Amino acid sequence: MTASSTPRRAAAPLVRRRFLAGMTAGAVALAVEGCARGASTSPQPGTTSISNDNATWDEGYRSAGRELEKITGYALRPLSNPSVTSYQQVVQMTLQTSKASDMVKWASGYQLKRLARAGGLTDLSSVWGQYAAKGWVRDATRETMSYHGKVYGVPLYESYYVLFYSKPVFRKLGLSAPSSWAELLHCAEVLKRNKITPFLASQVGGWPAIEWFQELVTKVDPRFYQKLVAGEASYLDDAARQAMDIWHDFMRKGWMTSPDFDQARGPGALKAGTVGMFLHGTWQAQGMSAVGMKPGADYGAFILPTVRPSVPKSVITESGVFAVPARASSHAAAMKNVGAWLDPSVQRVWSDFLQDSSANPTVRSSNPVVAELQRDIARERRLPLIRYWEASPPSLIQGNTNDLGGFMAGQTSPATTLRRMQERAQDEWAAWRRDEA
Amino acid sequence: MSTSSTDRRTSATGGGLPIVPSPGSAPPSPMTHTWRKRRERLTAGTFMAPAVLLVTAFLLAPFVWTVYRSFFSDTRTSSFSWFDNYSLFASDPALSRSIQNTLMWVVGTVLLPFVLGLAIACMTNATRWSRLARLCVVLPYALSGSAVAVVWNFMLTTDGAVNQVLTTLNLDSLAQGWLLTWPGNTVVMILANAWQATGVAVILFLVGLQSIPPETLEAGALDGAGSWQQFRHIVLPQLRPVSIIVIGMSLVNGLKSFDLIWVLTQGGPGRATETLAVSMYNETFLELRPGAGAAIAVVLTVIVLAASWLYLRRQLDVKGE
Repeated sequence: MTASSTPRRAAAPLVRRRFLAGMTAGAVALAVEGCARGASTSPQPGTTSISNDNATWDEGYRSAGRELEKITGYALRPLSNPSVTSYQQVVQMTLQTSKASDMVKWASGYQLKRLARAGGLTDLSSVWGQYAAKGWVRDATRETMSYHGKVYGVPLYESYYVLFYSKPVFRKLGLSAPSSWAELLHCAEVLKRNKITPFLASQVGGWPAIEWFQELVTKVDPRFYQKLVAGEASYLDDAARQAMDIWHDFMRKGWMTSPDFDQARGPGALKAGTVGMFLHGTWQAQGMSAVGMKPGADYGAFILPTVRPSVPKSVITESGVFAVPARASSHAAAMKNVGAWLDPSVQRVWSDFLQDSSANPTVRSSNPVVAELQRDIARERRLPLIRYWEASPPSLIQGNTNDLGGFMAGQTSPATTLRRMQERAQDEWAAWRRDEA
Repeated sequence: MSTSSTDRRTSATGGGLPIVPSPGSAPPSPMTHTWRKRRERLTAGTFMAPAVLLVTAFLLAPFVWTVYRSFFSDTRTSSFSWFDNYSLFASDPALSRSIQNTLMWVVGTVLLPFVLGLAIACMTNATRWSRLARLCVVLPYALSGSAVAVVWNFMLTTDGAVNQVLTTLNLDSLAQGWLLTWPGNTVVMILANAWQATGVAVILFLVGLQSIPPETLEAGALDGAGSWQQFRHIVLPQLRPVSIIVIGMSLVNGLKSFDLIWVLTQGGPGRATETLAVSMYNETFLELRPGAGAAIAVVLTVIVLAASWLYLRRQLDVKGE
């Protein structure tokens, strides 16, 4: 018995070593495979990669990429990271590496300026020049995509901030899209009387808190808004106070949804008739279709009227951009694709997918609601204004957005909110200018 | 004591060689002994190296860098700014609120799971339906913090389930924006956290209760002790080791609470529900002030380490006596 048990005992360490060796090999293989995931940004023949923070747009990129491929020979390969916060971190970090993706979706304005200031982006001034010569870009937007005179982004899309409304609900109550401030107030009163919350307002997710602020300030005085976001006017000035008072008044009258109302439920609420008007970007048209609402028949949209008839008409514009990292894996291919992105054949497919307006002014939206808005903007010669989120240094905007969220939740009065915003504006503009110097 | 036992174990198995010299074999020479010791050290070092390297690379090095970064400003040039980032704790009202919230979380996450866990464990220890009751309490512990937050979000929004139930019961006056006003929003999130965290406390207390010798209770009963006296003077003292673990875990969880808050309110509205962990994230990644974020991270780490060390040192010393 002893003789037979000895070999078994001696074999045990060998079995254990083999087991451990196997486990180690497995772990190493997994680690190597994990590291190899970084290869997703490596060059792949016939494609250029796009970093993207909206996974629902992937199919649109692929469709537009097929059109691009006919022109440049390179399709689009979206790499999506749906969390905006982590997306921004990932992009900023990968810009410093040799594994940067070929094209990056980014916000315009100061968000782009900050990225360009850190280095690592390609100067796209020549691409812009070619587009401008063909009339495929609006020269008014050049400044929002530039830093120190050089262009670092080409427009990815262009959306307007408008109020969506349910046509059946308005029809039932004998209302029509308001064209003046008095008509807007009348609509709100009638909706409220019929137990429908007139306006959707939200601070869920942070940034939506800016929507009513930017909208009301620009409809009180658009020139003041331009100065305010450029750091040349004070948040304590009359125009800002007036806008906040209007907002506060709307809230006290119960005209706004609770601030913890999630905007993702906006289209459904509009369709169900529990909310009357939904202030949002025209890219929300896609969300309206998702709940089965047909443009023109089930929903319409209008730009918020000015508070006084004498105030110049304006529209808040949101433009995303494509930037090209200097160390993009397929830099030459990426340059070809950004150079053809605004081609009408590509924009036709892209605009149809988004159901929104194209950044190329020669391409008319196929969504009748958005097309009508485009006509209105051209006819009324509305002053295009950059969205608040991109209009000032990011740290200032983030802090002020938090303050506006607090105001919406009733934590601070209009005066206190504006005082805090102004204090932050002084600090952050000083910091930005110091950094620039 | 532990050293001697380690030595014994080491000499008994070192190098996989038998320790008892066979009859007739020569005693090991000093050279062989030294070589064997070196080999043992090398083997021990080899086994320890991966863990040491990983901890150094992924824990210690980032911590040292974080401490270093906290002394630099958040301007473009990131100049050395001494303790400017730490002075934010005195000047920034959002950080003062964050500290208040963190203290509320610590008190809430220590008290509620402890009291509820102990009560539920005692009540379900010997009843017929105890298994079902335990399952119901323990089940939320199996859920991730984010999933719990999504469920509670459905309950607590202004047009959520809680307010709808109150309205149905004609208690409209009690319906409110649970996540909108401070300190109510922090309190309801602490309750949501307690709903999840009580499960593990129940499990631990049940283990503790089942390890109490029944003779001690019988002796107490024979001496005329009532139920409360038995619980107070016999059960509770014997649950001390388990209580130490439950409170210690809750303390650390309270200080580093993040996921539930992030999904429910993202620290808002207006930074009203931030804890230090959320403030650290907010300053670093949203407000783009990595220096300020690093300072908060350092302060939070020091508080967590100090609280854990002070608590555990005191409690474990007492236990060890």
